[in-house]
Amino acid sequence: MSEIDPPIPVGNGSENGSTNGGGPPMPPLQSRPARTPPAFASPIVDVSTAPPDGSGVMLGDLSHLTKVLVRVTATSGTPLGPFFGSSEVRGDALVCGTRPQEWTVIGDNPSVADVLEQADGYFVDITHARALVEVAGPEAARTLEKVCSVDWSDRMTPDGAVLSASVAKVTCDVIRRDRNGSAVYFLMTDRSYGQYLFDALADATTEFVTG
Amino acid sequence: MSSRLDPQPGEQLDRSRALWFTWNGKPITGFAGDTIASALAANDIRILGRSMKYHRPRALMTADYWDPNARLQVGDEPNVRAAHRMLEAGMRVKAQNAWPSVEHDIKAANGLVSRFLGPGFYYKTFKNQSLWPAYERVLSTFAPGGTVNLESERGYYDKRYAHPDVVVAGGGPAGMSAALAAALDGASVMLVEHEYHLGGHLRWGDEADRHAAAELAVACHSHPNVEVLVNSTVTGRYEDNWVAINQRSHQLADERLIKARAKILVVAAGLIERPYVFDGNDRPGVMLSGGVRRLINLWAVKPGERAVVFTANAQGDAVLTDLERAGVEIAGFVDARAGVTVSSAHGSGKSLRSVTLSDGSRFDADLLVTATGWTAPTSLLNMAGDRPVYHPAGARFVPGGRVPDTVLATGGMIGDGTLDELVAHGRATGSLAAARADIIGARLQKATPRAVPLFSSIGELPPDERTPLPAPGHLELFRSDTHGIVDYSEDVSSKDLVAAAAEGYDSVELLKRYTTATMGPEQGKLETVNTVAVLAEALDSTIAEVGTTVWRPPFAPVSLGALGGRLFEPTRVSALQPWHEAREATPINAGQWIRPEHYGDPEAEVRHVRSAVGIMDVTPLGKFDLRGRHVPELLNLLYTNAWSKLEIGRVRYGVMCAEDGVVMDDGVTGRLADDHYLMTTTTSGAGSVGEWAENWLQTAHPDWDVVVTPVTSAYTSINVAGPRSRDLLARLTPMDLAPEAFPYMNVRVGTVARVANCVVWRIGFTGELSYEVHVPAGYGPHVWEALLEAGKTEPGGIRPFGLEAQRIMRLEKGHFIVGQDTDGLTKMPTTGLGSLVRLHKEDMAGKPELAWSMAAAATGKGPRLVALQPSIPTLVPDEACQIVRSGTNEIIGRVTSSRFSPTLERSICLGQVEASEAVPGAELTVVLTDGSRTGIKVMAEHAHYDPEGARLRV
Repeated sequence: MSEIDPPIPVGNGSENGSTNGGGPPMPPLQSRPARTPPAFASPIVDVSTAPPDGSGVMLGDLSHLTKVLVRVTATSGTPLGPFFGSSEVRGDALVCGTRPQEWTVIGDNPSVADVLEQADGYFVDITHARALVEVAGPEAARTLEKVCSVDWSDRMTPDGAVLSASVAKVTCDVIRRDRNGSAVYFLMTDRSYGQYLFDALADATTEFVTG
Repeated sequence: MSSRLDPQPGEQLDRSRALWFTWNGKPITGFAGDTIASALAANDIRILGRSMKYHRPRALMTADYWDPNARLQVGDEPNVRAAHRMLEAGMRVKAQNAWPSVEHDIKAANGLVSRFLGPGFYYKTFKNQSLWPAYERVLSTFAPGGTVNLESERGYYDKRYAHPDVVVAGGGPAGMSAALAAALDGASVMLVEHEYHLGGHLRWGDEADRHAAAELAVACHSHPNVEVLVNSTVTGRYEDNWVAINQRSHQLADERLIKARAKILVVAAGLIERPYVFDGNDRPGVMLSGGVRRLINLWAVKPGERAVVFTANAQGDAVLTDLERAGVEIAGFVDARAGVTVSSAHGSGKSLRSVTLSDGSRFDADLLVTATGWTAPTSLLNMAGDRPVYHPAGARFVPGGRVPDTVLATGGMIGDGTLDELVAHGRATGSLAAARADIIGARLQKATPRAVPLFSSIGELPPDERTPLPAPGHLELFRSDTHGIVDYSEDVSSKDLVAAAAEGYDSVELLKRYTTATMGPEQGKLETVNTVAVLAEALDSTIAEVGTTVWRPPFAPVSLGALGGRLFEPTRVSALQPWHEAREATPINAGQWIRPEHYGDPEAEVRHVRSAVGIMDVTPLGKFDLRGRHVPELLNLLYTNAWSKLEIGRVRYGVMCAEDGVVMDDGVTGRLADDHYLMTTTTSGAGSVGEWAENWLQTAHPDWDVVVTPVTSAYTSINVAGPRSRDLLARLTPMDLAPEAFPYMNVRVGTVARVANCVVWRIGFTGELSYEVHVPAGYGPHVWEALLEAGKTEPGGIRPFGLEAQRIMRLEKGHFIVGQDTDGLTKMPTTGLGSLVRLHKEDMAGKPELAWSMAAAATGKGPRLVALQPSIPTLVPDEACQIVRSGTNEIIGRVTSSRFSPTLERSICLGQVEASEAVPGAELTVVLTDGSRTGIKVMAEHAHYDPEGARLRV
């Protein structure tokens, strides 16, 4: 019953999960086109630059990454792994329990395909349906505090956490995956809100940008 | 600066930085560290404003945030609290509420008729409602306050959410100690101080006080767990410790509203000094002891030359030392504890000259210092459910102890004590707060799937075992044997309160509203207890029996800008938006979507589509990916028609009705594979349809094997419309577009302009041969450009068309729009699509109501949607114009859509009219927006253009 739409190259990757917040760190999600040609048009243009010294907060546009929903029902499919509210790294892909009976797999095409090869459920490619913004740096949590009412403390939103929240009045899936000991948040929203969300975040970073 | 003293031990001035500013246009200077008011006082400027009603001259009284006499205009900003706001270079400071000048104010004549301006003046005088507009014009000229410059630059107001373990309201010794203890125990703390500096009353105390304050302040500022917010106010406490903090000290924003969800709120608001009520108590030169101490010790300003000190407490005693150090002659020391009080203060309009005591003695003086008691600002505790109780031995209301476990109080507000006792109580409070916050935090973690509790067994909150502070002790001193001002901001005197009580206002809550006492910018901080005391005296009752008013948010006034905060107004755009903007398309807001309305000439766009080919960005069209074995069952449930036999590659139109049978949405759904469908909805209905489907699946049919995924933005949707559309598309796709291979109402998945997995529908809203091409959104601009490029060589060329052209064409074709041509009562028979209701289905949303409405329609009841033709071909009635029975005023319908058709060169309309009148050829009357009337005829078909559908089926 599994299908991928549109087709994603499927490799022979093996399951290599890590627990919530532990295990291998999230690899940097590199900026490279999802598919060429033609060039992928990101929902975000006029991307701001990060402070040159790495202080404050950095925003990044990762909308080009492959994103696939895996959904199971009461009678079809097998749970993919991490519980609702948590995430884990498999190979080079990120598997997020975004809702009950729903997982979002994020990465480049081959790494996502590797995960899907081991999965059983309904696959819906949402690569083009979602904007994906990275918020990183020492002031990332304080930036999000300005646009979202969620408690971003380590106790309530630890490394690996996944949640759905209203960010600047736009519904987003938020995933925290720390990198080099520093909190990194991935915000995924409907593509059509991408530019608005990015602009709202950029405005929120103003007081933290020192460069 | 004639009143500036030599440097004082605790002054906060930077004398190396002189700041130039203007007062009523005259240039003067102060120092960095001055407040506006202290700088004015140092320049011997004492009269700062005029009172609200009687325009009595007013001067500094408390010399802090609560000073009712020091609200000034600063540049474009009115009502600035000048005794609080720090001086900045270049400020243009002016007095308010006075004309022609604050020294000579013509409206001071109001004082001559004060006997007629008593309580209830407005209620009693301005009874004729029809004259209110006239009253308003006159009375507005007497309105107090500054002036708002509508041309001034808009400020930047920020917002922030926070989830600290502990919020401490008040940065005095107890508050700082509580914050530090909580932080040392591991809690995250927000310490919020109203003033610009931590320290509370220690700041203007002796050397030991100042040293203690500095030590605690440094510890708080340097502790990583403590976030210190000075010049900030906790303005309200709401359910579950939702605490509002107005931060006025942000480096970028004018103000910032912090919405903090505190696990524990510690209230350490201290005490506020209370004025004494006597004749002349608002005369310039009458000051509270705290105000005098602040002026001398913080800002090195000499408050007068010859003083009478009237005291009943230690601060009043201490002010003597300060005055002597400042070189002020002590004319008299009146100890209330010995039974003597002040009866009246005399002088010219603008200064104090002498003071008369209750024993008849009289002193010449230009300064009267009163120290007659304290008010505990229990507002935040009130907001947590507490009702303060009167404590006669302390002459003040104290907290009643009825607060939840998540709210704690400490400091002078709950009892007296030495500095050591206050610090010890603060520490104990901080530790208790941290311990309770830890338990609450663990409870929250346990309840949140994404969080991992620190410990699995979560116990009860630790009990409150703090050693109480000593009960307060103070002489009861509220009003002398004369009458005076109780509420300085509202100009309400004790005589007014007595008069109101005599009129029957014997409840303090009613008295407050009738007289407006306690309702000014100080929100009762200075005047509530005196109001209660005067009322109790008038009623021959006790303060405890009268009780106090309920203090509600805000603790202190908040600007509208801070409440508004940053504006979040989400907008949605398609992947083609940069292209539209580059071509200067005229935008239109459609809900949150920004869409191109037209590219300059919508009628030309219509003509082009009718004659050649055009393309339109229809991305906002709602789209849902449906998967699973039970999709047909879901479609049968949601739509009124039948879906069990839809073949792969076919598309079907459907209408959804709510459970009351009212039309809620329409659209087409195509079957892409065995268990895979793509559903479209209206642009505005996409959100509600998604929720509607999930509601049925999650509540009624969780057993069904169906997943519904919104994919509206996953595709850039392009409508290719016009007689040349097939030829154009054929040049970009290997798909067989021949009519027999790809007939009307079919769907295919294939490659367009080298982009795979495009979904192509052969449908249309325009009435022309038409395809909807849904392209994976990231490649939308590429396909759009490819279509335009290929179209250049099509006969007649190609041009984009916008929403307005589409609306015209759909109206020519007679397609209705849900929400425009239907309303909240429109059911299926009205739309003319009753044939799509299949009542034989086992179940569907709204089935009982649909059955009823179909039966009712069969008897000729209810409105009908019909095409309408105005009798004047060039006349386009506005949408929503009423339709009446000819020759009468009886409303029988309305125009729902209207346009001028460039294709037919006449006006065209859709409208709802009563069934009895919905007869082809019926001549009705439409009432235009200017009130004139014209004829309008009912047409035989909805479609004004190509009713047979020949053009779209080619």
